[in-house]
Amino acid sequence: MTNAIYKIWLLTVLFTVTACGSSTPPPREPQLLEKLHAAEKDARHALNGGELQRAQHSFNKALILQQSLDDTAGAATTMINLATVAHQLHEDEAALAWLDKILLERAPLYPADSQLTAAFRKAVILTNLGRFGEADTSLQLAEKSCEKKCSQRFNIDTLRARIFLLNGNAETALALAQIVGKAVEAGKEEQANALRVQAGAEEKLQRYADALTHYQSALEMDKPLGLSSRIAEDLNGLARTAKLLGREQDAAAYARRASLVNETKDKSVLSAHE
Amino acid sequence: MTLLADKDDRFKNLFGKAALFVLLAVLGMGLVFFWTGMKKGAFTPKSPIYFVADTGLDLKEGIPVKFSGFKIGKLTSLALDEQGHVQVEIEIETKHLVLLRQDSVVSLKKEGVIGDGVLDISRGSEDKPVLVGGSKVLFERANGLEQAVMEVKGRVMPIIDDVHKILSDPDGDVRQTLKNVRQLTAEINGLASEMRGTRQKIDQVLVSVDKNLNNEVGPLLHSLRQSAVQAETITTKLNQDLPGLLNKVDSSMENLRKTTETINKSVQQTVPQLPGMVGETRETMGKTREMMGSTIEVVNGLSTMWPLKGSVPVPEKGPVRMDSHD
Repeated sequence: MTNAIYKIWLLTVLFTVTACGSSTPPPREPQLLEKLHAAEKDARHALNGGELQRAQHSFNKALILQQSLDDTAGAATTMINLATVAHQLHEDEAALAWLDKILLERAPLYPADSQLTAAFRKAVILTNLGRFGEADTSLQLAEKSCEKKCSQRFNIDTLRARIFLLNGNAETALALAQIVGKAVEAGKEEQANALRVQAGAEEKLQRYADALTHYQSALEMDKPLGLSSRIAEDLNGLARTAKLLGREQDAAAYARRASLVNETKDKSVLSAHE
Repeated sequence: MTLLADKDDRFKNLFGKAALFVLLAVLGMGLVFFWTGMKKGAFTPKSPIYFVADTGLDLKEGIPVKFSGFKIGKLTSLALDEQGHVQVEIEIETKHLVLLRQDSVVSLKKEGVIGDGVLDISRGSEDKPVLVGGSKVLFERANGLEQAVMEVKGRVMPIIDDVHKILSDPDGDVRQTLKNVRQLTAEINGLASEMRGTRQKIDQVLVSVDKNLNNEVGPLLHSLRQSAVQAETITTKLNQDLPGLLNKVDSSMENLRKTTETINKSVQQTVPQLPGMVGETRETMGKTREMMGSTIEVVNGLSTMWPLKGSVPVPEKGPVRMDSHD
């Protein structure tokens, strides 16, 4: 028995050694490409860890390398990422400047996908800044670039609904958000966003019971996604509508939960990466 | 008579041959020493220049004297005088003295942030006479890491203290402003309900107004209704957004207060230990740089090897996530 185990062990070692020996190691990448991949990897790692400044630095490094290697598609992606990081750092003007580098380029350098993403993200940032007119123009540009089956069509529709709601057109916002809210292919995050817009529109139209149900549905979707700020928004919506429905006790509980989430969400990002 | 007769021709003049060999070797060695000495500037005429330093810290015999980045001399001696000052002698190559003036200043600098010390001599004013051997010049210490840290501490600490006081003071401007905003939020809450009521009343009036009067009063009422709707939208939006905004301000202020406290404590604890730490850091940094170089090489090598290639994560591609609500 021991002899058999010994033979199997020997065979395994022989097989491994043969496999190692027969495989020629792949050639190393050129130095600039290695550096580029290292910078990109570091930037994404930093972003996942909430280290926005480091992510910004590494994306900048990656962009220089991509531009020096004539990788225009990669450069466009990195510029979009730099804009996103700048937006997360609350440097919205810098974020818009990065996106405009893609959108205002006259030569056909950047892929259509990147232009669509840039236009959409510009619209999101402008909406957050309350510049709805400019946001609408940018969103129209994104819609124009988005064919019927483009992957971002649900994001575009949700943002369109959000802009309608913020402009006071609750009926249209509700109609549009309802479609996205039911579309499974929109993805959980965008479905939850659409449900929140739907609830907001219903709240505005004084359909408080419906609003409460949809805020609840959005909350149930946001919780497994682990998005603290969205959870807080949902809870605040629930608190408002519960109060309007005269359910004071429920409203107070929702408001307290929202405030606890708001208080701890920043700390949770830091502790998650300790 | 010699004990053993040197009959072999090759042993003839053996002493002379050995002497010549030794002489050549000595001459060769002498030439090497001379050449090395000449290269090192041992035979270059030098002139002594003196200066006084308040302390001998970081000054030692042999440290180079540089002018515009070129070595033109070195520190030759250090001595403590009766007043406790340090008398320093430097030797500068005489041919370079013409470049320096009587008001030249010698400053002790570090090569790099934590490099070795060098004495940098400045040219001086053009209108002053040329520096001559045996002259005395002024000395100053350029900011080293320790001094730079102390200077930063001196400047930053009062600011941190001020920020801390401003954030902690319940009667301070910042806290008072927040209090006012909170009051405003409560008022806006009331205003929103009031505006809703106003708009509803206008709606009722519009329905009940007499048809004859409608032509005259109607447009006016419609315009009034539109204004009421706009005001209602604004107040409702403010009502919705302000609590979130206030929460963000609260949390940011708390974070800022805690950060200032932490910085304060860290600076107070770290600064006294710095002078000792800097010495150790220089050594450690050198070793770390060496280690990092080797580690990066090893990791890069390993990541391309067959058995490990698959387990090294490939960098993600594409734009980072952002949706319609980010």
